[in-house]
Amino acid sequence: MTAMNSAGADLKRLYYQMLRIRRVEQAIAERYQQQEMRCPTHLCIGEEAIAVGVSAHLTTQDKVFSNHRGHGHYLAKGGDLRRLLAELYGFAEGCCGGRGGSMHLTDLAAGFIASTPIVGGTVPLAGGYAWAEQMKKSGAAQGCASVAGGRTPWMEEVERSRRPEPRTPEATNVVVIFFGDGCFEEGVMHETMNFAALKKLPLLFVCENNQYSVMTPLAGRQPERDIYKIAAAHGLQAVSGDGNNVEQVYALAQTAVANARTGQGPQFLELHTHRWPEHCGPNEDDELGYRSPGELADWKLRCPLLQTRQALLDKRLSDESELTAMEASLADEIEQAFQWALRGSRPSIDSMGLHLYA
Amino acid sequence: MRDVTVMSYGEAIREALDDGLAQYPEMILIGEGVPDPKTIFATTQGLREKYGAERVLDMPLAENGMTGICIGAALAGMRPVLVHQRIDFALLSVDQLVNNAAKWRYMFDGQQQVPLVIRVIVGRGWGQGPQHSQSLQAMFAQVPGLKVVMPTTAGDAYHFMLDAIADNNPVLYIEHRWLHHIQGEVDKNSSRTALTGAALLRQGGDITLAAFSHMSIEALKAATVLAKHGVDAEVVDMRCLTPLDVDSVSRSISKTGLLLVADCAPETASMAHKLLSELFQSHGQHLRQPPRLIAYPNHPVPTSHFMANHYYPGAEEIAAAVLEMLGKQSLKQIVTMELQSDLAKDLPDRSFAGPF
Repeated sequence: MTAMNSAGADLKRLYYQMLRIRRVEQAIAERYQQQEMRCPTHLCIGEEAIAVGVSAHLTTQDKVFSNHRGHGHYLAKGGDLRRLLAELYGFAEGCCGGRGGSMHLTDLAAGFIASTPIVGGTVPLAGGYAWAEQMKKSGAAQGCASVAGGRTPWMEEVERSRRPEPRTPEATNVVVIFFGDGCFEEGVMHETMNFAALKKLPLLFVCENNQYSVMTPLAGRQPERDIYKIAAAHGLQAVSGDGNNVEQVYALAQTAVANARTGQGPQFLELHTHRWPEHCGPNEDDELGYRSPGELADWKLRCPLLQTRQALLDKRLSDESELTAMEASLADEIEQAFQWALRGSRPSIDSMGLHLYA
Repeated sequence: MRDVTVMSYGEAIREALDDGLAQYPEMILIGEGVPDPKTIFATTQGLREKYGAERVLDMPLAENGMTGICIGAALAGMRPVLVHQRIDFALLSVDQLVNNAAKWRYMFDGQQQVPLVIRVIVGRGWGQGPQHSQSLQAMFAQVPGLKVVMPTTAGDAYHFMLDAIADNNPVLYIEHRWLHHIQGEVDKNSSRTALTGAALLRQGGDITLAAFSHMSIEALKAATVLAKHGVDAEVVDMRCLTPLDVDSVSRSISKTGLLLVADCAPETASMAHKLLSELFQSHGQHLRQPPRLIAYPNHPVPTSHFMANHYYPGAEEIAAAVLEMLGKQSLKQIVTMELQSDLAKDLPDRSFAGPF
């Protein structure tokens, strides 16, 4: 990774992005106890490296679809932190105006199309979006309408402020779908891989294998074989790697995104990681005993942030004072974002029935 | 200016798909068998040759996944029309239709929309059996966020299809296989329908027959024979299910005072219950006697024609019920005789020789 070795700026940026997601999730967990964020919330603490390492290769024109555990994917893609928090509080300023909550996020200006909580639900949507990008590129569907429905003035303002990066005319926009090992058991997963391979779609499948579906371990749900090899059998270019090593994720995603962008068909990454908190909610739940003894503790030793922090110090790419300043700057940003969100307005009851039909 | 052509219902669908593909460069026509030699009962004939394999295409046998893929393409600005040769196959895609397509615009606060048409065909006759002939319109019409239409005439088949393609919402377009051969006038210059409203197919002052899809054809047949015997029935075609046009039926019963509802669905799965419930709540005072409901039995249709030929009520049952309501039982024998046909009961028309 020449870019990584040349300056270390990339590794520092990756660390910053991971730390930002971690601190946001921790701040949500802390304030969740106040009983004001009244929606099911699935935190991604422990899994930050995957969202960050993949999204580092995406432009705002590339699109991301996600799932119930989507805060990290949203933030890594550039989703607005303030509107995420306002959405958790159910305010009109939330990214879905309070209609979605934690499990339904969107920021079209950032290219984060959607997360939804029916496991597998967004997988074919990502495939369809990639198919449309391919058709637009080939000229099969010139003159496509915009994705937007009724845009709010807020959205337009943000879009004006975010200029898409210049791109070569040969390149195709890439679509990324994040999902877990449980989702790999869903039928639409395989239906989408089949179609993506058939049409050579510019689509990147990212499997965050954290070994648990809620509290049920992988061994109780799937036979012993590698998930990525099933994807390979569908005709995808598929590899696996350490999802807690952001440099490795970055390297694997760099190749995968470049392949998808240049017409080499759908790509598949199986990245091993572990969720630290309970499936849904702000707490840890190791006392329930569904994980093997010591399993969580072992994974915490392999914390993606700790590893990267150590690498930054070892390689003299940063120092304690810079990392302390980074923490302070993030604490300030997150505090201000919460203050902004908490100034939000209650959505009007009259608006409850709006937006069902165009 | 009117620009009227007479064509069959099936031809009208083909014509609308052709015009849609010409008018909307973002339209895609996809489904199992769309470009195959039989071209969905000839309703997609010639379209692949005219518009190319990228826009008119077959698909893997993956109804739920492909529905999701079409929703994703719609989010990106395409206008997919997804065809199922039988509505029964669409049940595999209920997750994507109900959880995603129907709710997407709402749950993302109007920032995104799903311009998607799901075209489904209800089978009947020649042993279609329990899984090739279901009438599921009421189930789909219960889902907020979906639009459900059941055009009955060739003219509506054309305009509803073109309007469904133009619509920025997911539209379920239900066609009864036994309507495909029926000829009608198509006026391409008539205005857009907005996919709402019932249609008055026949005016009459003695009784209101509110009917759905193919049952509207049966109601018209009954009304034609009844008219020879001095009974003047009004036929209202309930062609749009979301919302049901209760006002049109109410206007009719305020004149006739009598109502018979005929649906092509098992009685418990019938939209007629919704229509009757809404009418009773707001316009019950118009009715001089309790309304009658004619629907299919509450079990699947068997395959054997020896049984299936007695499953479907039609013009004879409608006419008999009308005469009972009017106290003209003495006419039942002659009217029933005049409605009888020498056409085998499991065939839609004389040209049909199976297998589907």
